[in-house]
Amino acid sequence: MNDQNPTVSALTVASLLVDTEPYLSCDDCFERMDQYVERRLADRHHDDLEMTTHLAGCGVCAEEADALEALLREDAQ
Amino acid sequence: MTTVERADSGVDTPTDDDTAWWTHLGQDDPAGHAAMASLHELLLRASRYQVWRLRDLLPGADAAQVDDLAQQAADDALVAVLRKLPTFEGRSRFTTWAFKFGILHAGVAVRSQAWRHREVPLPDTFPLVDPAPSPAAVSEAAQLSRAVHDAIATQLTPHQRRVVLALLVEDVPIDVLADRLGSSRNALYKALHDARQRLRQALIASGDLDAPSTRRTP
Repeated sequence: MNDQNPTVSALTVASLLVDTEPYLSCDDCFERMDQYVERRLADRHHDDLEMTTHLAGCGVCAEEADALEALLREDAQ
Repeated sequence: MTTVERADSGVDTPTDDDTAWWTHLGQDDPAGHAAMASLHELLLRASRYQVWRLRDLLPGADAAQVDDLAQQAADDALVAVLRKLPTFEGRSRFTTWAFKFGILHAGVAVRSQAWRHREVPLPDTFPLVDPAPSPAAVSEAAQLSRAVHDAIATQLTPHQRRVVLALLVEDVPIDVLADRLGSSRNALYKALHDARQRLRQALIASGDLDAPSTRRTP
């Protein structure tokens, strides 16, 4: 922690209070990520509550899903 | 790519047809070897994509080092894909399914490299929030920050406190933290999830956080 500036942003406070119910593990998120991303690409309105909730609360999984979607978009061009 | 295409060797090389991948991968014959080479190429594409996407995390690395990392990640991803191959159920295209392994292993490799020489901080106290622009916002944000500070100190277990603060205040990536603590990404995310639930319940009870409206059901 940076002792010279011992403060955090409002964004960090918000990240501490994200509602991650319904629970989904990182492994289950990975298991479903390919199907989820393909469906999102086919239909921007496609939703999967467990997946979107997990991705809102797990930065690394969210980054991986973004990368997969971006790669598939690039692949489609 | 739509099905199998004839490679220069005269061997059918699986391309975009999931059945072709299934048929040839794992076979100890020319078609199987060609399928393996194609799969590695596919994984290298995904790992390169992700490594370059996360390039800013590796400021000291040159292009060759970044590409080495992508190669290693593709090798690791190939092992993982072959191990998981029997579980592929065709719910997505095979290439999409395989890509996610390349992206996963590349991300893990980059974050591991980026934190290789860095100490992972494990604080047990929560600092107060940055001042916001307007006096009203300052007051509101400060009150919420104090409530979160108190809830972290009183409602969380020492383990939950360390995990939450390392992941969300110190921005330690979850896989890096799992590696340093001898834990797993799943276990840390569960600790984070449980901690967030405790914090939310405490703040809702104290009136510092609105109770959630009715959630949608899947």
